[in-house]
Amino acid sequence: MSEMWINMGPQHPMTHGLWNLRVHVDGEMVLDVDPEMGYLHRGIEKISEDRHYNEVVTLMDRCCYVAGLAWEHLYILSAEQALGIRPPERAEWIRMMSEEFQRLGSHLMWYAAFVQDIGLMAPFLYGMRDRDLVLDLFQSYTGARMTYEYMRVGGVRNDLPNGFTDQARKVCDWLIDRFEEYDRLCLASAIFHKRCDGLGKMSRADCVAYGVTGPMLRSAGSKRDLRKDRPYSAYDRVEFDAATADGADVTARYLVRMEEMRQSVRIIRQALDWLDKNPGPVMAARVPRWLGAPYAPIGNEGYLLKRNYPKGLGLSAIEEPHGEAQAYIVNDGGEHPYRVKFRSPVFANISAAKKYLVGYRIADIPPIMGSVDVCVGECDR
Amino acid sequence: MSASSVTAASGAVKTPGTELPVVTQPGVPFIEIETLRAKEFLPAAKEALSAMIAERGREDLTQPVFNWAGRNSLFPLHWGLACCAIEFAAAFGARWDAERFGVVPRSSPRQCDLMIVNGTVTWKVAHKLIALYEQMPEPKWVIAMGNCATGGGPFRTAYSVVPGVDKLVPVDLYIAGCPPRPEAMLDGILKLEELIRERKE
Amino acid sequence: MEAEFPALVSARLGDRVAAVEVFPGTLGRVRFRADAALDVFRSMRDDLAFDHLSMIGGIDWVDHREVFYVLWSDARRAYVILSTDLPAENPHIESATCIWPAANWHERETWEMVDIHFDHHPDLRHLLMPDGYVFHPLLRSFKLHEPEELEVKTRNV
Repeated sequence: MSEMWINMGPQHPMTHGLWNLRVHVDGEMVLDVDPEMGYLHRGIEKISEDRHYNEVVTLMDRCCYVAGLAWEHLYILSAEQALGIRPPERAEWIRMMSEEFQRLGSHLMWYAAFVQDIGLMAPFLYGMRDRDLVLDLFQSYTGARMTYEYMRVGGVRNDLPNGFTDQARKVCDWLIDRFEEYDRLCLASAIFHKRCDGLGKMSRADCVAYGVTGPMLRSAGSKRDLRKDRPYSAYDRVEFDAATADGADVTARYLVRMEEMRQSVRIIRQALDWLDKNPGPVMAARVPRWLGAPYAPIGNEGYLLKRNYPKGLGLSAIEEPHGEAQAYIVNDGGEHPYRVKFRSPVFANISAAKKYLVGYRIADIPPIMGSVDVCVGECDR
Repeated sequence: MSASSVTAASGAVKTPGTELPVVTQPGVPFIEIETLRAKEFLPAAKEALSAMIAERGREDLTQPVFNWAGRNSLFPLHWGLACCAIEFAAAFGARWDAERFGVVPRSSPRQCDLMIVNGTVTWKVAHKLIALYEQMPEPKWVIAMGNCATGGGPFRTAYSVVPGVDKLVPVDLYIAGCPPRPEAMLDGILKLEELIRERKE
Repeated sequence: MEAEFPALVSARLGDRVAAVEVFPGTLGRVRFRADAALDVFRSMRDDLAFDHLSMIGGIDWVDHREVFYVLWSDARRAYVILSTDLPAENPHIESATCIWPAANWHERETWEMVDIHFDHHPDLRHLLMPDGYVFHPLLRSFKLHEPEELEVKTRNV
């Protein structure tokens, strides 16, 4: 028969980034796949060993470029545990709100890219339009659209500007209405169902064995959501539900992400109410000075002496838009972290590609990989 | 003006009184054509071209025609390297709508004349980038978008990163920013159109 | 559950575990003996219900290397960290791919970055760096470029 290996990537409209999916096909049928990663490996873990703790935040934005604030949050939680610093409560709520807005931004980007993959062109424009509203909010309090450098060890850089909460509520109201519109565009479309139903099945047992997390796992019926199971920041003080679906296919993942966006809006509204009522400091009072100053002030040579600070380890885990992300930081008492190790959910989700791609047709690969929501930046680091 | 330099370089001698009414500089007749309605386009183009050829010779004219066509339909290669690719995509979204400048991303390098290197280039992808560049037909241009493509950016010292894509392919235009906003990318494309307007083979 | 976990681990694993250290936010940091790795992994998954492997990482402590595993249990809703020390000369440990298939890529990355060999791994080859890359970047002896040095190195490329 006509068996052959095909390279889909590194430059391919399906990949949404730089990676290569080697596909072994027999005619149309996929017999085997071999993802080839590393085209965007920038050595973030190595560079972090040469940086001060607060300077690593710069790399975190670029690490996952569609969910920068979530990765800043992940890193900061771990660094605070390793250094033994506690942030004030208002900073925790701002971080939680930022992460939820980032989840909206990431899922809207996913919606735009995924729906374009299956052949519907207008939703791309809708998704990008609504994502820009979220980015405008980020810009109003961090100053940037994508690379924020907003969180710091011990808090966040600055408080929210005046009038932010009102503007944010308006955006939430707008988005909630748009989600209905998205569902009408997709779920009412026969093209959508013909291209998505029953594709990319991955059972719950397989997901657990292969380390697949996030919306892919929850689309298989599991309720695991680290915001619920292992609450961090202020997630134990807000009400929300973990979005789940049955079916474990592409449509189920679409439904899970749509429901997650609605739950994010629900969390954000509670956070905005809390932030309105509780002004306060956003930076811990006693943070070592060397954390804030990346370079030695002139005339202060003692700054460069090795500091005498307790050693520690930090492990943080957050429910990132793509799944379960972790950071493990070794603090050996020096100015730089001794070792920083990240766990990327996309890394694990792609590593199981054999399980959800083999047995389908080659034309099914774009919708299936679109439903995985690949962000190569965090996968390769 | 940029176009006047083309006139000077082409060496066309203009004597007073014999000048065509629409021709004040070589690019202008085509700008006139742009404003015509579609059904009048071909006859008007034929007329203007034959008048120009009779006046100034074929060689002086083909280059502005190619430049005019090329700069108004830049087809960038559709690929995303890193963070800047998201802003690249945002520029094609509803708010900025880059397609109004004739910029339409194409997925095959053989249909493209512009490569926007939007992100960090690693040594692993370097030879693939060169292969894509070589598959693009002439004339072709390269824009280094963002600090990583310009000089390595925050990852300049890393072991796996090419410190600037100009080590691999010739770059025509650099856009600063980490990442550049979509406005900056559109501004870069307009600047590139200025460069193409002045292009001479 | 956190209080009784160390007793549970030592009851199941006996002397294959050296100590269970306190690690805030998890059930503990279990220091196990590297030569009993497979027993520890199997017991963790089957007896203690840690069915999800989150990540594997390696640390180069110059005089020795450390490899750590982060596990999650849906039943316990908690993390546990397994950690063991390996010698700096020829560090190797049994692969966990037969227990958790998720370990495959994590072990490839750890081998590539920290030079820890995983015995009986089905497919131990380069993942992030190109094939034939001879260095292990996350070792402490591997230094990053200085910016000035970079200019000299790339001038003739």
